[in-house]
Amino acid sequence: KARGSSALVLCMDVGFSMSNSEPGQEPSFEQAKKVIQKFVQRQVFAENKDEVGLVLFGTDGTKNGLAEDGQYENITVHRRLMMPDFELLEEIESKLQPGGQQADWLDALVVCMDLLQEETMGKKFERLNIVLLTDLNVQTSADQLDVIIDSLKKARITLQFFLPFPVDGEDRADGGGDGPGPSAAPVRPGKGLSRQQTQGLEMVKNIMTSLEEEDGLEEVYTFSDALQKLSIFKRIDRRPMAWPCHLTIGSSLTIRIVGYKAVTEEKVKKSWAIVEAQSHQRDDVKRETVYCLDDDNETEVQKDDTIQGFRYGSDIVPFSKVDEDQMKYKSDGKCFSVLGFTKQELIRRHQFMGSQVVKVFAARDDEHAAVALSALIRALDSLKMAAIVRYAYDRRSNPQVGAAFPCIKEKYECLLYVQLPFMEDLRQFTFPVLENNKKFKPSESQLSAVDALIDSMMLVEKDEDGESVDVFKVNHIPNPQFQRLFQCLHHRGVNPDDPLPPVEPWLKRDLERPQAVSARCQTPLQDVKTKFPLKVVVKKKEQKTSADVFGSSADEPDAKKVKVDEETEFNLAEIAKGNITSVGSVNPVRDFCTLIRQKTVSFDQACQQLTHRIEQLLGNRSPEYYMKSIACIQAFRDQSVSSGNAELFNSYMQSLKRSVPDRNLQELWDLLIQDALTLISKDEVDGSTFSKQDANQFLAFEQKEEVQAAPVQEDTGDVDDLVSVSCLFGCFNDKHIIYYICECNSDLQVY
Amino acid sequence: MAERREYYQNEDDEVEEDEEDSGGDYKISGRDSLVFLVDASKEMFIKGEDGEPSNFDMTMQCVRSVYTSKIISSDKDLVALVFYGTEQSKNPRNSFKHVYVYHDLDSPGSQCILDIDKLLGEKGAQFAEKTMGSGETSLGDALWCCSNLYSDIKLRLSHKRLMIFTCRDEHHGGDGAKDRQARTKAADLKETGVVIDLMHLTKPGGFDVSLFFCDIVSPPEDESELGLQIEPCRKLEDLQKRVRAKELKKRSQSRLTFSLGEGVNLAVGVYVLARTATKPSAVKLHRDTNEPVRTKTRYFHAHNGGILLPNDMKRAQVYGKKQIVMEKDEVDEIKKFDDPGLVLMGFKPMDRLKLHHHIRPALFIYPEEEQISGSSCMFTALLLNCSEKNLFALCRYIPRRNTPPRFVALVPQREELDQSQTQATPPGFHVIFLPFADDIRTVDAHVGPTASDEQVDKMKEIVHKLRFKYKSDAFENPVLQQHYRNLEALALNMLEPEPIEDLTMPKVQMMDARLGPLAQEFKDLVYPPDYNPEGKPAAKRKTAESGGGAAEKKAKVEMSEEELKNHVAKCTLGKLTVPVLKDACKQFGIRTTGTKKQELIDALTMHLSK
Repeated sequence: KARGSSALVLCMDVGFSMSNSEPGQEPSFEQAKKVIQKFVQRQVFAENKDEVGLVLFGTDGTKNGLAEDGQYENITVHRRLMMPDFELLEEIESKLQPGGQQADWLDALVVCMDLLQEETMGKKFERLNIVLLTDLNVQTSADQLDVIIDSLKKARITLQFFLPFPVDGEDRADGGGDGPGPSAAPVRPGKGLSRQQTQGLEMVKNIMTSLEEEDGLEEVYTFSDALQKLSIFKRIDRRPMAWPCHLTIGSSLTIRIVGYKAVTEEKVKKSWAIVEAQSHQRDDVKRETVYCLDDDNETEVQKDDTIQGFRYGSDIVPFSKVDEDQMKYKSDGKCFSVLGFTKQELIRRHQFMGSQVVKVFAARDDEHAAVALSALIRALDSLKMAAIVRYAYDRRSNPQVGAAFPCIKEKYECLLYVQLPFMEDLRQFTFPVLENNKKFKPSESQLSAVDALIDSMMLVEKDEDGESVDVFKVNHIPNPQFQRLFQCLHHRGVNPDDPLPPVEPWLKRDLERPQAVSARCQTPLQDVKTKFPLKVVVKKKEQKTSADVFGSSADEPDAKKVKVDEETEFNLAEIAKGNITSVGSVNPVRDFCTLIRQKTVSFDQACQQLTHRIEQLLGNRSPEYYMKSIACIQAFRDQSVSSGNAELFNSYMQSLKRSVPDRNLQELWDLLIQDALTLISKDEVDGSTFSKQDANQFLAFEQKEEVQAAPVQEDTGDVDDLVSVSCLFGCFNDKHIIYYICECNSDLQVY
Repeated sequence: MAERREYYQNEDDEVEEDEEDSGGDYKISGRDSLVFLVDASKEMFIKGEDGEPSNFDMTMQCVRSVYTSKIISSDKDLVALVFYGTEQSKNPRNSFKHVYVYHDLDSPGSQCILDIDKLLGEKGAQFAEKTMGSGETSLGDALWCCSNLYSDIKLRLSHKRLMIFTCRDEHHGGDGAKDRQARTKAADLKETGVVIDLMHLTKPGGFDVSLFFCDIVSPPEDESELGLQIEPCRKLEDLQKRVRAKELKKRSQSRLTFSLGEGVNLAVGVYVLARTATKPSAVKLHRDTNEPVRTKTRYFHAHNGGILLPNDMKRAQVYGKKQIVMEKDEVDEIKKFDDPGLVLMGFKPMDRLKLHHHIRPALFIYPEEEQISGSSCMFTALLLNCSEKNLFALCRYIPRRNTPPRFVALVPQREELDQSQTQATPPGFHVIFLPFADDIRTVDAHVGPTASDEQVDKMKEIVHKLRFKYKSDAFENPVLQQHYRNLEALALNMLEPEPIEDLTMPKVQMMDARLGPLAQEFKDLVYPPDYNPEGKPAAKRKTAESGGGAAEKKAKVEMSEEELKNHVAKCTLGKLTVPVLKDACKQFGIRTTGTKKQELIDALTMHLSK
């Protein structure tokens, strides 16, 4: 049922006048070339069946079917009708050069018509179109004009013109403000136009109006206009499938309906294939999935020897596919059955489920169904009610409960169906009170500051006629994901060795607050800023850990880290100016650092006191104490590194490690792994007897198993992603990080 | 987490790794745990008037429902069931008298359900009497025992909750030493992060929390929370609701910065209050041993058989006959526009939020004071102002790294309480996802004739007859219910699964009864007699070529006297619709008393056969 495709010839003037430009302005040639590029690019990514040809005129050479006896010279058929591909894009990029001649654009038009006629013979196209890009700056012979118009009409060929200047002076003023584009301000018609251009313009008007009457001139664009419009990749255009069904109310009342998916989140059509890095061949990569037991040997099991089961709490219940199919819920086919009617206000907008909105119409060409459905829609609308329906797409799909809202538009009426939640979908969370909470209650002045801010940031404005205008319509913005993807694909396709380009400025701008709003809210925002004290809460522990992980990921020298830490500790010690003589239990880290800094006791003694405290803390096996212990170990390590004394720390760590199984300190050890708190290596302190590799392996001993236990992570290949996300949120997922650390290790081993 | 994620998996499997559940938080914080500490004294077994279940029975039903829901939705959570005030004693070291640990802290399985079933009903009471009996009470010992349960757990516990079920507001008969011991033990528990709740049940003469329990339970989350429910639970539903509200720890999906611009940033937590629950995916088991089997996926080179590491592979797509190749990193980079967070664009009146602009279930945000202090105050100010002015805030939302932005509407939600003063809707902003241009499809509207007022009025009667109060938690998912009933049957060795009630099916008989003749009357008004809406689109009816409209339709159906007489002669007047008949009556100036079809036919027949 594909819609008819079109055949289209791009006909571009490359004659020498196209290369002329006022100083500081982009020559018409460059602009026209960009229009063509953007257009073809759009076609390539839209992947429709349209065919495109390219004819150039004003070329030094001549190559076309009509050239004879000096007629139709300097016109080149560059490419016959074909589906546009990257080859064409590359050719445009590299081979489309300004020519040194001039040619009659009417002659070029005739060549295009000839080409279209010849190439579309025997093929079915819904639309034949010629796109002419020229500055009209050439002498044309108008004597054949009527014949040309006639044959255009006869062949049902439509025309589009792209000119450096607007066809009409007044139109310019109206269509003004067309922001970006590399456009040079177009020349005003009548002013600065050459005699040929004025004459040409008349002819363009003549042709266009005789082809399409008054609407004809709408098909004449300026280069800059076109560029702006074309820079947006065509939105993914999908025809919704009709879903015929019956709306039922009780057993006897039935209305024939048809549903269409009207709103749904559009996904990128193509997914990424995996290719071999060298050959770029897809076939070189084979994927294999094996099943294995969860034992030490990872004994492989044949797929046929597996059955399926489901978790039921801590149990796994074997439940074969056959049994499952036999016992599972069976739905009796497609339906749209009314369960009852309810007040619209009882259906909360935030409880809409699913990923789509379905528009429901009466069956096409069934006026009785139309009347019946119309009665329902109007009844619901006037009562402010909605129908709650059971909806099943077909026999295989799960039934839903949803709401059908009435929707009455000027031109049509329909029901809007949205899925609603099941009891199992809802989570009842209770949150602490906000507005009546004394701690958080905003003062009058704070409220009015926010009030002013809101007023300055309204996105709906009144225009001169008092109509409110939405200045930021999300549903008019193309999905930036697709735009960016196609931009990068195009760039990479044409320049395989270049890095990816930056995000297009217009796309960036589309995602920003409108400038006018930004400007307006400056002052109120400053006011809000001063009236509301907002302070980032620094969580020592979290920061340190993330710094650690980031540090190792960037392979920064550890020394840098230590320094930072030392400074913070130093400050802490400064604040707590008390007389510290030993490592206490309340704040052992601070005490320890102070002792070392003030040299109250010897380094050995301080360390001994600290380890004593650590051991005490570890006696309480509870997370809070673990955190404290780890802070101590961290401080111990940091101070050891800065004092250049690795021995005490390393030997303590080794003994700690030995005691892990007996004292059941596995959890603590995991935390040490997270924080990468390992032995001090030679790289850090000269006196150390451990290489960096040893140090890393010191922890790695636990890791091996862990890594194997987490093969799922390997599949996702998204490890770094996960690590950084968890870091950002200050929370950690053991396995990911362990895996990550292992990766670092292996890297180290390689280099 | 994996299991939980499966359960709450998004309907659409392709939805990237986008909708990860509470994700990150979970692993670090470990598992949730819940201890039911149930009073087993004689008072608990007293049956209510009119054969109402005893407090003990009610408690057991409630515990059972928590067990099953844990099994379904969060099977990694740990649950324990401990009785106190028993005659018999059973606890790990048997160091406590009159404390009976029925289930140690563990993730619940099918056996646990079977065990609890033994305690249900009349038989359950007898069974309890036989195995445990009722004896002396020492809440202090009971709490001590529970604290041992916690400390014996080797896993890291994130959220620790203990619920005391009792109907006695005074436990130790004035024994001050025991009271003191209970207080101390409760304080110890609270110190280690255990939250103690009281689920107090009805007691003749009223339950006085202030006598004893106010010192036992944890203080409310913040000073303004109502804290202790003053009224004891009378009904099972109340109890279940109360337990349910506490049982699940709320966890944010992520914590983000909400930027108003110019460095004015607050921190918010993003919560999922509704997500399509789906059947968990199957686990592969070894046929012989029923051991779980893992899958390993490997990539290797087709020619030399070598294992391919991530670095040995690239990503490619083909467009315009050309293969375009990128590194995996680049594929990710393409999706990056900005750092994660919410960025305020501006505000719009609520009526600009279109009903049909829906692409995903909503999220919910609530301030995070622990990240940026002052967030709550700023947030509250925004909430109050937006709600007062009936506005929503438009924001750009990037949920995580390397994720393209979407625009969302932040819809203000002020706190709402239900009759029992429990929070029905929490305060915060709902995050409604808005469609981009690409997400809106072009639908060719079907244009047809519209209904007349009479037809609409008849439908209004129908709507009126079938109205009900919609509640979002009224419908259970029959597919899931059936699945878990099946599993339950297999796990608990039942002969066949308990039947489910499919609430999504229309109650046709009831509807028909309520409608009475209305359905037929409406059909007579809109359908011609030979029209069968259920059949295939039979002989195509004349299409409303001129674009339709009620007025035109009426004009079209006017009939000549000739035709009508013909109908009368053949007794086929009944085939015409009511509007046609009415028009005919009007045409001949026939006065009709009623609007019933038969009355119209009779009147016409009378007139025309004269």
